[in-house]
Amino acid sequence: MNATVTAPTATAPTATVVAPTVTAPVAASLALRTKLTPIAPVLRAVTAALWRPDGLRERYVRYLAAMHPLVRASVPLLVRAAERCAAASDDPAARRLAAYCLRHAEEERDHDAWLLDDLAAAGAGPAAVPHPIVVELAGAQYYRIEHEHPVALLGYIAVLEGNAPGPRLADRLAEATGLPDGAFRTLREHAELDGGHLDDLYQVFDALAPSPARQTAVSVSALHTANLLTRLFLSLAEDNGGHP
Amino acid sequence: MTDNAIPHGTEPTLEALAAAGFDVDALSDEQQQVVRALTPEELALLVDIRGRLDAAAPEVQAHADVAGGALF
Repeated sequence: MNATVTAPTATAPTATVVAPTVTAPVAASLALRTKLTPIAPVLRAVTAALWRPDGLRERYVRYLAAMHPLVRASVPLLVRAAERCAAASDDPAARRLAAYCLRHAEEERDHDAWLLDDLAAAGAGPAAVPHPIVVELAGAQYYRIEHEHPVALLGYIAVLEGNAPGPRLADRLAEATGLPDGAFRTLREHAELDGGHLDDLYQVFDALAPSPARQTAVSVSALHTANLLTRLFLSLAEDNGGHP
Repeated sequence: MTDNAIPHGTEPTLEALAAAGFDVDALSDEQQQVVRALTPEELALLVDIRGRLDAAAPEVQAHADVAGGALF
């Protein structure tokens, strides 16, 4: 028997030949979704701590103030990623990625203003300085776009869009906090918007036909993002003002 | 110490995830194919994320009636 077993034929197999296990390549989107599956219960746990009833009103305002600088970075990150793609204009995948980034930037535009409105409705304003973990979250993406590859931003977006508010979250928080309805626009709007956005992202990711190295760049970016977000939510869940 | 004393198996990535508390048996064959090919960086991040579950205070989780996505 040859040391190298090739695909079985109609006549070749004998009792001593083991048919090789042929595994089809897994689509890039499925691989990324699989790698992100284990983080769901962790994010659920940390948001349970974030939304626990005692002190929720103050904590929700801290959450809004922390999310504002994060969301403010979304459009500039997407635009910068598109610009970096333009530098590789002879690459069809780069053009496709740039088109996605610009399209998604328009979908995200002015959402930071929604958060300012929510904060105002809650009787608060933006934080004087961004939460340090928010700086780490957005800052890591600037690094990856500039020094790694703009495709890494897809991992960041996949985590953010993949953990959008549920359709009842705003109502439940409004009831628990007693804050006016106007303090929950961002949660309400994203409960409706982000599912379609995520489908778009995964379709684009597959269409890019990323190499294994690029897929790893995206998944490491996604897992790094998820890790920082768990830290952010745990920090906000504490009663010391939300900074580590 | 001999090599035999070092805990390792034929599926080191799956074992590492299981040791960290992930339910790897719940993964489909296709998902296990993905998990087996995790890079060290991906594995380290997943294990680190899982470690934060303990910090989320299980008693809080157990009594929370609101949880879930808060990102956009």
